[in-house]
Amino acid sequence: MMMTAEKANSESQGDWPTLLGDSARTGRQEQVRLHSPERAVWQYRAGGAVRSAPVLRDGILYVTSLPGVLHAINAATGTSKWKFEAAGPVHSTPSLWENLVLFGCDDGKVYAVDRESGKKLWDSATQDEVWSSPVIRKGMVFFGSADGIVYAVDVRSGQPKWSQALGGRIYSTIYADENQLYLGCGDGQVYSLDAISGKILWRAGTGNGIDSSPAVADKLILIGSEDFFVYALDTSSGEVRWKYETGLGIASSPAISGDFAAVGSKDGFLYAFDLHTGKLRWRTVVGDVVTASPVIGDGVVCIQAGGTVALDMGSGKIVWKAGLAAAIQSVPVLGADSIYLSSLSGDVYALR
Amino acid sequence: MSLDPKETMDRRTFVKAGCVGSASLLMEGLKPAMGVEAGPATLPPIELHGLPKYKPSPLGMPGLFPGRVIEVHDSKAIVRNRVSQPIVRGLLEQAMKELTGENSVRDAWTKFIEPHDVVGIKINPSGAPACCSSPEIIREIVAAIRSVGVPARNIIVYDRYSYEIDVGSYQALLPPGVRIVGIQDAFLGGGVGYEPTVYCDANFFGEWESRSYMASIVAHEVAKIINVPTMKDHSAAGVTGALKNLAYGTFNNVARTHRAPHSFTNPMIGLMCSVEPLRSKAVLHIMDGMRQVWHGGPLTQVQDFIDQTGILLVATDPVALDTIELEAIEKKRRERGAPSLWQHDPSSITPDGGIFFRDSSKNLFFRQPGHIAAAGKLGLGTFDLKQIDHRLFSA
Repeated sequence: MMMTAEKANSESQGDWPTLLGDSARTGRQEQVRLHSPERAVWQYRAGGAVRSAPVLRDGILYVTSLPGVLHAINAATGTSKWKFEAAGPVHSTPSLWENLVLFGCDDGKVYAVDRESGKKLWDSATQDEVWSSPVIRKGMVFFGSADGIVYAVDVRSGQPKWSQALGGRIYSTIYADENQLYLGCGDGQVYSLDAISGKILWRAGTGNGIDSSPAVADKLILIGSEDFFVYALDTSSGEVRWKYETGLGIASSPAISGDFAAVGSKDGFLYAFDLHTGKLRWRTVVGDVVTASPVIGDGVVCIQAGGTVALDMGSGKIVWKAGLAAAIQSVPVLGADSIYLSSLSGDVYALR
Repeated sequence: MSLDPKETMDRRTFVKAGCVGSASLLMEGLKPAMGVEAGPATLPPIELHGLPKYKPSPLGMPGLFPGRVIEVHDSKAIVRNRVSQPIVRGLLEQAMKELTGENSVRDAWTKFIEPHDVVGIKINPSGAPACCSSPEIIREIVAAIRSVGVPARNIIVYDRYSYEIDVGSYQALLPPGVRIVGIQDAFLGGGVGYEPTVYCDANFFGEWESRSYMASIVAHEVAKIINVPTMKDHSAAGVTGALKNLAYGTFNNVARTHRAPHSFTNPMIGLMCSVEPLRSKAVLHIMDGMRQVWHGGPLTQVQDFIDQTGILLVATDPVALDTIELEAIEKKRRERGAPSLWQHDPSSITPDGGIFFRDSSKNLFFRQPGHIAAAGKLGLGTFDLKQIDHRLFSA
């Protein structure tokens, strides 16, 4: 198993401080060395496009679909355990905390659903769509909305704690460390907020709006901007430690594992860097356009870009490709013996 | 409304129009630019059904300034593929004042927009991220509309496919409050839907669904449309400009009008634009010429075929605007040694999209740039280059 930088931080059991749970974007799965998948062991029809990433816990895969349905799927068999219907389309990747599945919805709400029963426990309203993924830390849920406001609510009740208006629409999923939150904003700023009060601690400007979500490790925030750059900022000040220019805007969210960092760009490349120096390790064309986030397994980086591509972490060489799951915004789940993929066509696959 | 076919068609075109706005505009007939080698022998009958009892607006195409096209250019508007927000702001302000003759930008916009309007901004995200309606230009249009007194919530930025909008990251880049709508989900339904009584009906190639329906938000929700096309060649239509962006982004089921190598984009593009209320609501066309795609459009991501030109064109007349665009793309192709968009040499046709995207001498269809003149014959604007009042301004 690969120890992620984020997991090295102090963290309460069950906390889910960023998109897919940790900076390696593993969805909190134990990792084994991945081999090229040979066959699909099951295929599940979600009944509508899937624009989010699945998450897996205790043998159940949780997938949100565009028609507004949260699916709980038995990961072994591909059969439905339950479905929950929200009141609007869903683009948000679910987060898990204890018995809850949380996700945002285009109806402006964040929903908390019981993982066992599929029943809604609470919802929390904003003034516009919520595409970002809720994050949970120390009993608080943090999320941004297209209304330009960051919200903090109690994870057990959904009761509001604080809200903080920023300067643009928010589609970036927050990263929550012990005391601070980090996120990008449509106004081109990277913000750090105090987790307790919501007060803005610092902001750092980029050259265009931000659609990417931050990853944090070793006191560095990595985030992409539509100004074509990936930035590494100091967590305490927002000072730029290094930045790297790609060929087009970056909507992809970086993934970090140890001193290895990777991010996709709309120029079609997946880029790999040394986390601390920003030195390019390799870049490889993985598709015409990349907007999805990479996920790091043991020795490989996987990304969806017109298909699913696995690259050797050391060399950047493509070690296998799967033609399934042409989802441009999803992220595979790398399970112990299977890979789970979701697609724009609405299919969810288990590959082995 | 139904017209006598003998009075409304030439020998190839039979158009039955119901409430398209001004049926008399169809009297001249249409002439699809197809030679024997360029398309099937006959164009099928076409029925148009507009919104019943819709009262045409004087702002409708060709709008307040027929035949006038304002072109503004600044070489610094796009540098290293990044569009400059302040320079675009200046270009748009200048173009709006030149178009309308007003001294103030706000007065220019009030010729088209009123504070109580719900305003649609029709973007062109297909081809994103390499070439699509620049978010920087959309931001300026939003700001201008808001300066007239329209609340952000009454501004709807839309196109057909939400996943293409996502690739362009418009949702993150535009101001809070503005609604961003994908009319339909390209894959499995969803979206805000289509109006079942407003449609174009024609069976071109034996397709099972012969109707194309108008988007509900166009039929019912928006009062005005600001059209923001890009400057691109188009494998089937010749170019995609103001007319194509409006027509094929408003009606669904449009890919059926071209089946390689044949294309009925002429006359369908113009006909769709003539259907009410689309014709009346499209009051202003702001063509994003920050980038020009001279081959591989509309979807190419190949930078070799995309020039960073830094121009903006503004008009109320989409036919005149597209005529200027067509000239520009033709010029660019001549300079690069690519064949004319009018060329209908069968040997240039390839069924292989991979070859088309790499080789500027190849094409997937017999292109139909004649769709622009056909739209002009429908009364949508001026297609005779000599009659177009094309004013150029360069920083």
